[in-house]
Amino acid sequence: MAEKILEVKDLVVEFKTDRGSITAVKGVNFEVFKGKTLGIVGESGSGKSVTALSIMRLIPSPPGRVAGGKILYRGENVLDIPLDDMRTIRGNKIAMIFQEPMTSLNPVFTVGNQIEEVFELHQKDLDKHQRHEKAIEMLKLVGIPSPEKRVLEYPHQLSGGMRQRVMIAMSLACEPDILIADEPTTALDVTIQAQILELMKKLQDEMGMGIIMITHDLGVVAETCDDVAVMYCGQIVERADVKTLFEHPRHPYTKGLIESIPSFDSTKGGVRGRLPTIDGMVPSLFDLPKGCNFQNRCKYVTEKCRGPHGDPQLESLGSTNQQVRCFHPLS
Amino acid sequence: MSEYLLEVNSLSKKFPIKGGILGREVGAVNAVNNVSFKIKRGETLGLVGESGCGKTTLGRSLLRLLEPTNGEVIFNGQNIIDLNSNDMREMRRKMQIIFQDPYASLNPRMTIGGILSEPMDIHKLFTGKEERKKRMYQLLDQVQLPKDTLNKYPHEFSGGQRQRICIARALAVEPEFIVCDEPVSALDVSVQAQVVNLLMDLQKDLGLTYLFIAHDLKVVEYISSRVAVMYLGNMIEVAESSELYGGARHPYTKALFSAIPKPIPGKHVGRILLEGDIPSPMNPPTGCHFHPRCWNASDECKKTYPGITAETATHEYKCHNPITL
Repeated sequence: MAEKILEVKDLVVEFKTDRGSITAVKGVNFEVFKGKTLGIVGESGSGKSVTALSIMRLIPSPPGRVAGGKILYRGENVLDIPLDDMRTIRGNKIAMIFQEPMTSLNPVFTVGNQIEEVFELHQKDLDKHQRHEKAIEMLKLVGIPSPEKRVLEYPHQLSGGMRQRVMIAMSLACEPDILIADEPTTALDVTIQAQILELMKKLQDEMGMGIIMITHDLGVVAETCDDVAVMYCGQIVERADVKTLFEHPRHPYTKGLIESIPSFDSTKGGVRGRLPTIDGMVPSLFDLPKGCNFQNRCKYVTEKCRGPHGDPQLESLGSTNQQVRCFHPLS
Repeated sequence: MSEYLLEVNSLSKKFPIKGGILGREVGAVNAVNNVSFKIKRGETLGLVGESGCGKTTLGRSLLRLLEPTNGEVIFNGQNIIDLNSNDMREMRRKMQIIFQDPYASLNPRMTIGGILSEPMDIHKLFTGKEERKKRMYQLLDQVQLPKDTLNKYPHEFSGGQRQRICIARALAVEPEFIVCDEPVSALDVSVQAQVVNLLMDLQKDLGLTYLFIAHDLKVVEYISSRVAVMYLGNMIEVAESSELYGGARHPYTKALFSAIPKPIPGKHVGRILLEGDIPSPMNPPTGCHFHPRCWNASDECKKTYPGITAETATHEYKCHNPITL
């Protein structure tokens, strides 16, 4: 069993708005292991990014607030650490890359400056020259050609894929234990996406960090993750290892998501049926139904799902590692 | 009446680059370069390619929302490039477009009723009050939205619903041809499937012809009967969609398809990792634009741009060293 480096327990995150308070993340539990990748999948508004930001303690407060739960990094609750000390962890032990490589780099500094800054903050014993050398080394590591030249360039001189490589170089500069990747390839073209995913996998093999991969693309999940948590309306609705999840999804939402992706094989016969869909849409967080959040879109809904006897809980199925939040899990 | 609704002959669109203090033209971007293709009535032609390959420019040039630099667009037997602006407006009743971002393409200060009325006002269709109302209810019914939608504003709707409104607006003037420019890329997966199904149903019911532009190959392959692949302004391969996956002859097409993450866990054999980025269209490589990234490139590829090879009546590609099947 791999070493457990991060444990999130009953995380609750609330946001205050003009229309009242909403719970964006409602009792989320998961673990991250060394050298493994955990995927968090969900549609917009499901709370996946908020979960990531709370691990980094980057939830803007106000209006946001971590209202409950623990985030244990190697046994220590990150939420109890004073914000000043948080800096020794953030970017150093737990690093993050974002979706938009254009907006997450500072346009007025060179790429080199921005990578050197990481060393300046976290490895104070290095002098200026060493920092510069290390920055070049990092660029080489992420596969940027002629790094000696690129290190002096500004973000606008690089393409989208290159910028994302620079972001990865920055985040890995201190060899973090955990890398949180929030939709790292959503803004990129498929051929570039394949390069970046390959690079992340290679670096994970070399450095052994745990990765939290946040995405809405089930294809990316299938290719990169070891374990998967599916989120819906701020809750995890299903958890399993990647193989089990894709082969035997037990929650109707997971199954619907997997089925609604067109696959090349389904069209092979030339006759094209309709795509299976999930009817309706995600309910507003202001107005969640009583009982199961998925009831208005579910094909298997019964009276029990409408919550006369409480909400469904995330429960293990038999002896497997698969957990489902559903009164009527699929067989 | 010809079998083809739309025929495009050597269409090009150049964007000048101005520079210097005098603002002289110092170069040009060939966003669309000498592209020719035909679309049959009732057919969907898919158009795929990565960002910057010119697929959106091509879509807009067909409607003359961007004025093409060169070439012919023959719609229903008539070259629309020659039409004056009045005749062109008349013609656009038959050709409509649906845009990518349903948040940006609906006026936030107009009710849905107003949004749906506008195209009919412009083209003086369904002018009677009762007739207009009936038509709007019919449109909402076609895109599966409730009747009370008419008095609401765009912000009251989700992304998928907004895209339905955009579709209803395009249908309002009873077009024959619709350019769908990335209509589902901004939507969540579960909603994406709903909109794809809707577009396919409407095509069947109303006999529409689509040009379906997207970078998501899975969706394109699903909805289209034929697929065209673009790279740096050129159309490099066209084939039946069932033929293209697995039967691609152009190395780029093959790499593009192999790069898609598949929702099946496990090791992926046959992934082709292309090196480098797409070159800048301002300064494309000599010869075949794809040669710096191609593993099959020969000296020939560096010198001359390959011509069209017709494999079958429906499968064409431009490559000196095609993949042997």
